[in-house]
Amino acid sequence: MKKVININFQGRIIPIEESAYDLLKQYVESLTNFFANEEGRDEIINDIEGRIAELFGETLKKGTTCITDDDVNRVIDSMGRPADFEAEETTIKSKLADEQQQQQGNASHEQQEQSFTNNEPKRFYRDENHKVLGGVCSGIANYFSIDPVIVRVIFLVTAFGAGFGFLAYIILWIAAPSSASKIIGSQRKRLFRDTEDKLVGGVCSGLAQYFNTSVWVPRLLFLIPFISVVFHTSRFIWWGFPHFLSSSFIPGTFFIYVILWLVIPEAKSTADKLEMKGEKVDLRNIKNTIQGDLEGLKERAEKFGSELKERTQEWGKEFGETIAHKGKQMGAEAAAASKKNSRDLGDIIVILFKVCAYFILGIVLLSVVITLFGIGVVFTGLLPAKEFVIANGWQNIFTWGTLLLFVWVPIIGIITFLIRRIAKLKGNSGLIRYSFLALWLIGLFSLIGLIASLRNDFHHNNHATEEQMTLNNPSVNKLEISTLPSLKYYERRWFKIEPFAEFDEDTVFVQNIRLRIVKSTSDSFHVTMVKLANGKTKDAADTTAALIHYNILQKDSTLILDKGIALTPNNKFRNQHIILTIAVPLGKKIKVNGTIWNNTTNFSMDWNENEWNLSNYYIDQMEEKWRNNVEYIMTAKGLERVDQRKDEDEDASPENSIENFKKSKEQILKEKEQKLKELKEIDRQLQLPTNDPKNNNQAHPPTKVEKQKTQVSASATMNYPSRRALNNDLVFMRFSI
Amino acid sequence: MDIQNTQSQMRKGVLEFCILSIIRQGEVYPSDIVEQMKAANLYILEGTLYPLLTRLKNAGLLTYRWVESNSGPPRKYFLLTEKGVAFYSELEHTWKELADAVHALTQPPQDPITNTLEPQL
Repeated sequence: MKKVININFQGRIIPIEESAYDLLKQYVESLTNFFANEEGRDEIINDIEGRIAELFGETLKKGTTCITDDDVNRVIDSMGRPADFEAEETTIKSKLADEQQQQQGNASHEQQEQSFTNNEPKRFYRDENHKVLGGVCSGIANYFSIDPVIVRVIFLVTAFGAGFGFLAYIILWIAAPSSASKIIGSQRKRLFRDTEDKLVGGVCSGLAQYFNTSVWVPRLLFLIPFISVVFHTSRFIWWGFPHFLSSSFIPGTFFIYVILWLVIPEAKSTADKLEMKGEKVDLRNIKNTIQGDLEGLKERAEKFGSELKERTQEWGKEFGETIAHKGKQMGAEAAAASKKNSRDLGDIIVILFKVCAYFILGIVLLSVVITLFGIGVVFTGLLPAKEFVIANGWQNIFTWGTLLLFVWVPIIGIITFLIRRIAKLKGNSGLIRYSFLALWLIGLFSLIGLIASLRNDFHHNNHATEEQMTLNNPSVNKLEISTLPSLKYYERRWFKIEPFAEFDEDTVFVQNIRLRIVKSTSDSFHVTMVKLANGKTKDAADTTAALIHYNILQKDSTLILDKGIALTPNNKFRNQHIILTIAVPLGKKIKVNGTIWNNTTNFSMDWNENEWNLSNYYIDQMEEKWRNNVEYIMTAKGLERVDQRKDEDEDASPENSIENFKKSKEQILKEKEQKLKELKEIDRQLQLPTNDPKNNNQAHPPTKVEKQKTQVSASATMNYPSRRALNNDLVFMRFSI
Repeated sequence: MDIQNTQSQMRKGVLEFCILSIIRQGEVYPSDIVEQMKAANLYILEGTLYPLLTRLKNAGLLTYRWVESNSGPPRKYFLLTEKGVAFYSELEHTWKELADAVHALTQPPQDPITNTLEPQL
């Protein structure tokens, strides 16, 4: 059972079986391809078509209802295939030889291949019939008579392992001839720029045509290095980009593109376009020559479904166009041919500018996309913290609106736009554009609403009051500050948010605790705590501040502090801060254990009105500079390290320390001498009578500790420029959103 | 040296000459040319003939005339132009010379000397 269609062929209405029509179409296409370089190509094909139509007419006159595959094949046999024409031109054929030739033509493609390989030395071809990408792997497999899967696996492993396979594949793809080149016609395939399907210059689409691959492949190859530039310059590197791509290909692809643009001619005429698509025609040429394979190919066509269908449709369109524009294009082509190869300097400059512009545009767009994407990820990552900051009601709605509409909508919109642009999808984009814009505007209003709402919530600060902590025995010699070790049995670290020390489902701890060490006015330790918070009103801020629950526990000479301020969804973050002041009396020691105190990132939302003016608040007390895990002693001049080292030593980076070491080798020797002198001086002073007014008004001879202390202060004073400068260094670090 | 190449070189000129000589006898339809050549035991594919005719036509040697046919659209009938006639007569002249020369060379005179020499060859 076969479907019969009516075609208008050279002015005749011909009922023809669909499969026969396919054959005929392929035959005419193969002729078009064969005569592509012939001057009177259209006329020749027209004549041949006319003759075929006549022969069909005769067949139909005999009483057959329609043209069958056999009729078409008979006609084709009498007209001759392109392969036969070529043979005709090279050799005289007797009738017998002619028949042989046709039998050969009818023989299967595989057989042809076989005879080919038998007659000539084995050559390496890319296998167009069993290809996945470019047929390189199946070609290699054919050459060595092994399974292509093995070769593919090897290539994949080397491609992702070292990148070698990737390069090798490209080189082989370009260098190795296609198996289709064994079939007549494909030698005529030429590289053109396909301006019908262009994005920039049509180079990629032309290459895709030439290598008979999807246009995505060359585009991706050209784009990968560009993308990698963005990935390298941006700070969001989520996966390692193959290094060789970025280092060797970035300028490479750019220049290659420009060069190809300049060098490859544009496919202007129909002949050019057919030459450009030579391979496609070849596929049909094969089909035409191999009748036996036709059924197999049909199966394949069904298998690959839409793809092949699309191709045939495309081809059919071209076929129609070719016939329709036949006459018109003859003249146009002749005119174009004379201009074809002349390209003046102006064009080249324009092209160069275009390439540069597109390059910059591409980089900028990709950067924008990746930055937006990063912002989106960060914002989404902050989502778990939302309930500890954002009040229910409008503020919550605004937050969601901001996140979804203001952040994600443009990201999705821009990415969609780029994909549509690259894929050349055209459609009802106006509607999409306006809806995206509308959604984004809603998002913008949400953001404004959110900012206004938050600003309102953080507008006022509370009345700060000092709370005195009572210490059990404030006259202890040494005070240690530490925190409770956190009991963590599991860690969830899909996204780390720095300001939060600990994150639970219903409680979060903010490390907004500032530890100040000052000199005590009395001879005992004092601990004072100030709670600070923001609120809609002063009262609200006071309430929030009062709700701050912060424990200080004393265990002998150790103060155990809470790690952070607890926040719950009910007790939201409103810039809660604690300022803990520890007053150390003269001659007493202090040590801060742990790591959090000095490195605390002060997490706050700052608006102009509510910044804490701490310098005013504590104007009367000089703040001491100190480090974690170091024992200090309070002297008349401030905190001094017990171990005599300088704080700055730890600051020095490795390079600095080496440099310092070289530089200060002499200095150290000098210092050593000086210290020895000092020691002698102290010894001398110790032997002096106690009523010496210069000797610190001390009634008894100094103990060993005090001797050491004096010595420390002497050396330390030299290194500290001024206390004022140190205080200036203590600037609040802010983490603001 | 490839024999096929040599054969094709020989054939090419002859083919054009033969076609022109058929057309010279009067207006012809391409398929008639094929038939006539077939009758003379010289085989040519129609697919080869049409390009050849077009080339000759473009060279100004041939021209064609649309002739209404009983069935279907009009047919293209070819005839020689004046240039074509001149071209043909020159070809004919050359062919005669060539045929004589070839004949003279390939059919050696029947004399005893060459006959005796033959076995040596």
